[in-house]
Amino acid sequence: MSEAFQIMMWPLLACLLLPGLLVYLGLHIVRREIIFVDLALAQVAALGICMAILLGHDAHDWQTTAWSGGFTFAGAALLTLTRPSGKRVPQEALIGIVYVVAAAASFLLLSRSPEGNEELRRTLVGEILLVQPGEVLRTFAMFTAIGIVHLIFRRKFWLLSFAPEQGESEGLRLWLWDFLFYVLFGIAVTSFVRMGGVLLVFSYLIIPAVCANIFATTMRTRLAVGWVVATLSSVAGLYASYRLDLPTGAAIVCALGLALLLTSSVRIFHNSK
Amino acid sequence: MNKKLTIYRTLLTLAVFLALVPCSHAKLSVVCTTADFGAIARDIGGDLVAVSVLAKPTEDPHFVDAKPSYISKLARADVLIEGGAELETGWLPPLIDGSRNTKIESGKPSHVMCAEGLALLEVPTTLDRSQGDIHAMGNPHFMTDPLNARYAAQRIAAAFSAVDAQNSAAYRQKLEVFLQRVDKKLPEWKKQMEPFQGRRVVAYHNSWLYFANRFGVKIDLFLEPKPGIPPTPAHLAEVMTTMKTDNITVIIIEPYENRKTAEAVSAKTGASLVNFSQYPGGIKDADGYIELIDTLVNTLAAALKTSGASKEYPK
Repeated sequence: MSEAFQIMMWPLLACLLLPGLLVYLGLHIVRREIIFVDLALAQVAALGICMAILLGHDAHDWQTTAWSGGFTFAGAALLTLTRPSGKRVPQEALIGIVYVVAAAASFLLLSRSPEGNEELRRTLVGEILLVQPGEVLRTFAMFTAIGIVHLIFRRKFWLLSFAPEQGESEGLRLWLWDFLFYVLFGIAVTSFVRMGGVLLVFSYLIIPAVCANIFATTMRTRLAVGWVVATLSSVAGLYASYRLDLPTGAAIVCALGLALLLTSSVRIFHNSK
Repeated sequence: MNKKLTIYRTLLTLAVFLALVPCSHAKLSVVCTTADFGAIARDIGGDLVAVSVLAKPTEDPHFVDAKPSYISKLARADVLIEGGAELETGWLPPLIDGSRNTKIESGKPSHVMCAEGLALLEVPTTLDRSQGDIHAMGNPHFMTDPLNARYAAQRIAAAFSAVDAQNSAAYRQKLEVFLQRVDKKLPEWKKQMEPFQGRRVVAYHNSWLYFANRFGVKIDLFLEPKPGIPPTPAHLAEVMTTMKTDNITVIIIEPYENRKTAEAVSAKTGASLVNFSQYPGGIKDADGYIELIDTLVNTLAAALKTSGASKEYPK
């Protein structure tokens, strides 16, 4: 058991410390019905990484972080501009297009680079098992900073996602807050993607938030349910990965999926009584 | 009654466990990155070692996906055997870090780098990623030459003797057996390849340089435009033209390479497709290193013989 703990300690810490912010952001994302925005932004960030790799930087150089950050910034700006003004072009369609084009562009860029396929796969499934202690702590510090910004302006962000009309009538400049939201969101997603991959980020954002919406109505209770679901699923996924020798990221994603299945069955059973 | 049974069962389990503990301690725990080192380590260590191999023989050794068991194997390892020519550089170091096993850290005697001291070929003069996936230390597929495997076997035996001194005589004796087998086989293999001196063969990736040099063939035309970069249509067209003008009739393909590309080229040129593998277990009936080279030489000689006789392209 001590060996299991030794091997899985840093992945476990990463999966306990980091999803806290992701679950909270996920509640916003689910409420705004822009579910795939994280995939799109993560892919845009990955495109920046690919660009840096093609220019000869290593995946861990600061230039790579700069490229990836710059691309995320541009992606955030793009998504702000496309906040639905009319119903003719749904925002979800544009988000999908951003994702697909960014993915295809990464593919084109990396076809010219050795190890390209490997990098592409790494952006998808990540390497949470081999996460470095320094990386976990750095990302946790960054997540804490983002969390504090969200805590200070929590009412403004709440209005933005949950009652934009009311916010507008109160004189809230929606586009500005939207841009800030996407930038912070992009930074959080990008830094987690480099550890856990696109699949794990998506799951931590969306699945606990959906479970929370099944059971709870206020922001506080939703957060509580979401955090419990994320924590239990992380522990279960890591345990299964160790015991059955499975790829770690994929095991956590499946554990989260199972958690959703369980919560919805409980809800259906509860309702039918 | 039931309770009594449980107690007996527990005691029995405990007894079996205790009986197993000493012998699992006595055996040297050896972890190899690839199956070629694994096979040789088994030959030299025999019953004195327990060998496990990280990369599957059918898996691309440049990229290996980390699993928790790899870290726990490394955590318990007494000896780690790797190529040391940067083939494993993309995935092994983080696994060693993760294992927190200081015995097998880079530079320690229990961390065997088989290529150390070997003159590798194709050492690049400038390091530039535009040349593809090149390795600063040279072409890392050195184990395809039996003489390099001979050298690796000596390094492995030396490490076993250093870590487990009381059994060093046994290791030395088994090493001698292995070396003699190679020395006996090598002239036979060379003789089999004798009729095909200078013949060119197409490969998917540049992993057969050492094999080609040893046996006098040229494996210098690749389906990949640059190492690690997937085939492009223009490059394949160029390869097929060269195949026709130079009358190249054999393509070798490894388990983890894109077989469809090779099949398409083979269909268009009439060249025969030969299954190759750098790793014992990667092709049928070749679980040991010597058996592997035996199979490779046999199949390549057969393919060169049948395909070379039937075709005469005018120059």
